[in-house]
Amino acid sequence: MLEEIALTAREAIAIGTSIYLSAFLFGVLMIVLRKPYPRAAMFALLTGGFIFQTLGLNLRGAEIKGCPLGNIFEISQFIAWSLVLLYFIIGPAFRLRLLGLFTAGLAGLLCSTALLVRAWDTPYPAGIFGGNPWIELHAALAMFSYAMFAIVALVSVMFLIQQHGLKKKQFKGVYQYLPSVQQLDLMAKRLLITGVLVLSAALIFGAVFWVNHPERVPVFKLSATCLVWAGYLTVVVLRIQKKLVTRRHAIACIGLFLFALASLWPVQSASDTARTDEPSDHQASE
Amino acid sequence: MSEALQSLFVLGSTHHEAPLEVRERMALTPEKAAALQQELHARDDIRECLVVNTCNRVEVYGLASAPNVEATIRDHLCACNGVSRELLDAHSTWHTNLDVLQHAFEVSSGLDSQMVGETDILGQMKTAYADARAAKCTGIVLNRLFEKSFQAAKSARTQTGITRGQVSIGNVAVDLANRIFGHLRDSRVLLIGSGDVAEKTAQSLKSRGVADITVASRTYENAHALAHSLGGAAIELSDFAAQLKRFDIVISSTAAPGMLLDRDMIATALKQRPDRPFFLIDVALPRDIDPAVDTLENVYLYNLDDLSSIANENLELRKAEIARARTILKGHAWNLWLQLRRRTMMAAK
Repeated sequence: MLEEIALTAREAIAIGTSIYLSAFLFGVLMIVLRKPYPRAAMFALLTGGFIFQTLGLNLRGAEIKGCPLGNIFEISQFIAWSLVLLYFIIGPAFRLRLLGLFTAGLAGLLCSTALLVRAWDTPYPAGIFGGNPWIELHAALAMFSYAMFAIVALVSVMFLIQQHGLKKKQFKGVYQYLPSVQQLDLMAKRLLITGVLVLSAALIFGAVFWVNHPERVPVFKLSATCLVWAGYLTVVVLRIQKKLVTRRHAIACIGLFLFALASLWPVQSASDTARTDEPSDHQASE
Repeated sequence: MSEALQSLFVLGSTHHEAPLEVRERMALTPEKAAALQQELHARDDIRECLVVNTCNRVEVYGLASAPNVEATIRDHLCACNGVSRELLDAHSTWHTNLDVLQHAFEVSSGLDSQMVGETDILGQMKTAYADARAAKCTGIVLNRLFEKSFQAAKSARTQTGITRGQVSIGNVAVDLANRIFGHLRDSRVLLIGSGDVAEKTAQSLKSRGVADITVASRTYENAHALAHSLGGAAIELSDFAAQLKRFDIVISSTAAPGMLLDRDMIATALKQRPDRPFFLIDVALPRDIDPAVDTLENVYLYNLDDLSSIANENLELRKAEIARARTILKGHAWNLWLQLRRRTMMAAK
């Protein structure tokens, strides 16, 4: 059925990205013009973008015969896709105003950057996970946890903007549409705990694979992933102990997400190097 | 009388001339305001006198029998509130004759208020007038002036839209509380003092779902009565500091001369609830809450000026109505001026 669609994976993803960016610009325009925030239109646009992105990722998955998480382009797309999916779950349930706008902005930024940097979409042999469903689950869960950390970072940015408005006695513009600081703080805490649990599960599945095939997991990748996990775990522990709260908590969440995002590229490079070093083993698994 | 009419004056220090830090130094207690009124009226060169004393203005209205009384009035006001002449001169205005009428009409109608179009000032003007009349400090001219100003205020309000879209301090406080806490049903409010603005703010919060209101006042009976009307509880003023950590919203409006809440007190309370924000509303003058509190993380402090400027954000929309109201008041002021002139001329014949 997917073969009948007259679109390539990149084209479908590009359409989805354009819709995300349009949603973001439309939302910003409404706020600048002091018009009522178009919650329904934002939801509809994000749905449209999500459908095209899902189609693109499915097409890519069919091409590589597995979960499309083999290069930076696909990882970025998967994080953006998970981010929008999380918005669909969290947005209506918790009615966090403007979360759609910020989600559209970050998803649009991640997707468009991945599309523009051609070097991120390096080809790789099909079936890189060696047909091992556990390692695919590990990769998918890890990326889903990164999407959760992305939404935590968004909520933290919203918190800092709202707090800045309250401290500077600003009442108009974006401030009036944002959720309350307490709601945002509580939401960031809950999502962060869930994200750490998901990443922990991903690491447990990954550890099983690592124990059986230590040579297939680069030390740098393992160290960077554990560092991100340890960083988030520390923030969660300090948050629960009420030692890292509100503004400092928000800054820590944004900083950690940027670090996690920045670490993806060297981690992926290390994986690519490891793959090229062991072609025979990998080819054998196909 | 004709000469006396030439010496109608008002000396005022309001939010137009004085920032909050100066206004709190200028502020008079009700007792001091009454004493100043009596003191001025007792002078031979002052025939009539009335002091309007609110959180945003100290004004001395009067009718002098001698032409150069300005320096005398200024000296008396400085002696009463303990500020220097330089400070008063830098932050006050002096109007005479027809300008006094126009000014009084604009004050009564809320045009001169910090929150343009507010209606509380009319009640405060009526109270000041009733007190001065009871103390026999007013006479034919000020009686006529104030009674006419109340009529003029009414017609300006009914004939124009100056009060339309007007936002009260209570509504602003509720909107801010929503931006801090989201819903208010779990928020606990502490009211320190039983001032009118604070009471109205607490009522607004209650109408939006706040269930727990506690009142602390210097007089326990007052606290109890206000708490009863708000459906809350009363505590002794001396106890509120120890219980501060329990509250999310603190509204302070006492007439205390110094600060009631300093940075250390709030920081101590915050340590016991670091992940819950503090919303502090200081509607007292002089201020009850140390401005340094605002530098604390997770504390949001708003004073009268902050709340008023937010409430006035939709002022642009009402500018045309304000201009219309001013024109109406000018007509009323001119009519009264002619009436007073006619009366004095007839009295002279």
